[in-house]
This record gives sequence, C-alpha cells and structure tokens, in this order.
Amino acid sequence: MSNDDIYRQAFIEGLSIEENEFNEELEYNTIVEWDSIGHMSLMSALEDAFNISLDTDDIVDFSSFQKGKEILQKYQVAI
Amino acid sequence: MALMQKPIVFKKFRAFHDYVKKNNGQIGTKQRGIDLNLNNACNLRCEHCFTNSPKGDHVKPVLPAAKVAEIADQAHELGIFEWDLQGGELLLRPQILFDTLKAIKTERFYMYLTTNGWHLDAPMAEKLSDAGIDRVSVSIDSMKPEVHDEFRGKKDSWRRAMAALQHVQDAGMTPYLNITVGHYNAQSEDVQQLLEYSKDHNYTTLLNVATPAGMWQKLSDIMVDEEDKAHLIEMRKKYKNILRNLWNPFDRNYEGVLGCNTVNRLYVTPLGDVLACPYVHIKLGNVFEQSLQEISEFGFSIKKFREHSSLCLAGEDKEFVTKYMMKDGTSIFNPRHAKDIFGPEERVLPEQDESIIARSSLA
Repeated sequence: MSNDDIYRQAFIEGLSIEENEFNEELEYNTIVEWDSIGHMSLMSALEDAFNISLDTDDIVDFSSFQKGKEILQKYQVAI
Repeated sequence: MALMQKPIVFKKFRAFHDYVKKNNGQIGTKQRGIDLNLNNACNLRCEHCFTNSPKGDHVKPVLPAAKVAEIADQAHELGIFEWDLQGGELLLRPQILFDTLKAIKTERFYMYLTTNGWHLDAPMAEKLSDAGIDRVSVSIDSMKPEVHDEFRGKKDSWRRAMAALQHVQDAGMTPYLNITVGHYNAQSEDVQQLLEYSKDHNYTTLLNVATPAGMWQKLSDIMVDEEDKAHLIEMRKKYKNILRNLWNPFDRNYEGVLGCNTVNRLYVTPLGDVLACPYVHIKLGNVFEQSLQEISEFGFSIKKFREHSSLCLAGEDKEFVTKYMMKDGTSIFNPRHAKDIFGPEERVLPEQDESIIARSSLA
C-alpha cells in the first residue's frame, strides 16, 4: 500500500467514518467524528500507521487532511 | 471553542490519552477533572437531583473565587485538563460564575457548564463562549415536553432547554445533550428518540446512569441492569456520538471501558468538601484543609477507588451501593467520611502506594 493509501486509511479508521464520508477537504471540527476526541484517535492511528511519534505542537497544528500532509513531511513521510 | 485552540489544555489532554493508551485503555490513577458545585441554588425541582437542591439544601454557600483560583493552580499542576461547573443552577447568578471563570484562568482547562438551560439565551451563550466555556451540557429527560417539565417541576423547561442547546451551538461551543438513564427508561422508545434528535442536530450525547443518591437515595431499583447496559453499548456503536464517563472515548470500536472515574474526577462542594465523585457521597478531604494532591493521594489509597472497576460504582455496582451509599441522611453536604468507613485492610499504605510512581512514568 502506498503512503497515500495508508494516510487515507488512517483517517477512515482513526475517525471511524465510512469510505463514502471521506474526502480530501476534511478539516478539524467540520464533521462530528473529527472533534477533540476523534483528533486524538486520528493522531494515534497515524502514529501507528507510519511508526512515528508526533510532537504535541504538530498535533495541535494538524487542522486538516491537507495540512497533515505537510506536517508528516517533517517525519520523513512523503504523501 | 475547540480544544485545539487551547494548546495548554491540549498538551494535558494528550498526556491523558497517552496514559490511557499505555494503561490498556483504563483510567488507572490518572487525574482528569474537577466537578465543581459552585453553588447549590436552583430554579427547578428535579425528581432525581443528587444534590438535594429541591429541598433547599445549602443553597447559600458559594465557594470563594480566591479558593477556586488556588484549586485551579493545584489542578493544573496535577495535569487535570477539564472542569465541569455545576450546581444547582449557576446561571441563576451569572456574575458569580463569570468571576469564578476568571479565577480559574480558563485557557488552562477544557471548561464546561452543566445547566438546565432555563436562563441560557443567545446573548448568554455568547458571554459564556467569550469567558472561555468550551462545552455546555443541558439535561433533557424526554422528547415529550410534558414529561420533561413534570420531571423538572416547571412548565416550559423542555422548550427552554432545547433552545439553549441551539444557542450553545450557534455560539460556537460544543453542545452536549445529557440524558439520565436508569432501568425505568434505558430501553425506551423515548430515549431512542432523544438519541436520534441529538445525532440529527450534531450534538454529543452524554449518558449519566441513574444513581440512588440525593433525592433518589435508597431507590436502587432505578439502577440499570445487564440488559440495559448491553443495550446502551449497542446504542453507542450505532450512533457514535454517545459518551459515558465510564467508557473509553478514544476507542473507535466503541466498546472500551475506561473504568469508574471515582477520584479521577473529584467533586468539590460549595463548602470545599471533596467527594469521590458527584454521586458517591464519601468525603476524602476539604480544600480549606488539604491540597488537592494530598486529597487525591488519599483517595487513591482506598482500594475501592484505586482498583479498576468496569462498573460505575454509584450507578451499576449494587454491592457498593448497598454497603456504602444507603446510610440515612447522607448527602453531598453530609457525606460519609472515607477515613471512618475504609479500614486499613481496604487501604494501600503510603509506602506501598505506587500510584504516584505510575502517574509520573505514564504521564
């Protein structure tokens, strides 16, 4: 599976949403599932998927699907 | 306001998340919150009130803002990330509430207010949001206005409560629709309709199980049974927006149980007494006499509170209720004293207490 697929799958599993609920414009707090609690589950799913440990500041900055791609580059995860 | 807009809080929230994850999804001895009954006066007369507010019990005392400020500093040091301000009904005297919020320094905590919604109109919602409130919980008992109003002892309370939730959402805070569930309604169509309503309106549903405390002391038949609990888990999986303090909110399979939150969420009364939780009226200390850390360590030295319980002690554990919650006259203002009811064999001696070590290594 490519990093792109892993990243997308982490969103679906981390936020516990259906495939058809996913889109690349997802932003924090724009769907019920991506609230503060969902955010922690999403970060956890990403850490497990890419075997990384995200800094808290990056977790706070992780405001959207697109922004997340930029942040993951810091962890040598290219998407 | 979203939690991520309060980075100080978010760091503590992450520490809580990481602790729970490392601790097999259980809350262990991690402190998470303060439930503050700032003042017990209320405008409604709810049948199930656990603070005996309808009886006019201690409606005058208010915990002074200077003392709240001290507690908040101590709570922050302990890694506590959330406060639930409750009563009584705190919007009866909003200036006291706003003075208290200022004293707490809300940028350090995820702040929520539990209210009946009567006085929560659109301007008040804006003021609460500006004062740093992140979430407002409003209790609803039924989708039938007359049922709610009768239970709450005041006409029009349903309409105003429902309107309050909308004002909360419009002001950018997180609306929580709280439902008290007991054996009498857990599997009812009425509760099902409330769950639907909450989901449809993008609210979060918080389930509080009915407890035989306060006005309902000794009514143990109101407690949920195994079938009720299984049904609630089914609803949790179906709707995904339902929380209980007992459940692990981070579990995306919607099955995990954090464990009973006694001591993890300390309940502070207007007199400064600290109880194990809002419903377990057992006193651990007093904030005028001890630090929060001393009270917390004493609380976790009691095996019943320290050890994992997959049951809510006050709402699901009939043995606990029978043994510790049935004494006549017990209330939040006349609590039983932990030191009198838990003998040495029910305590962990200080030198055996690894909770502090565990806290620091897992935090």
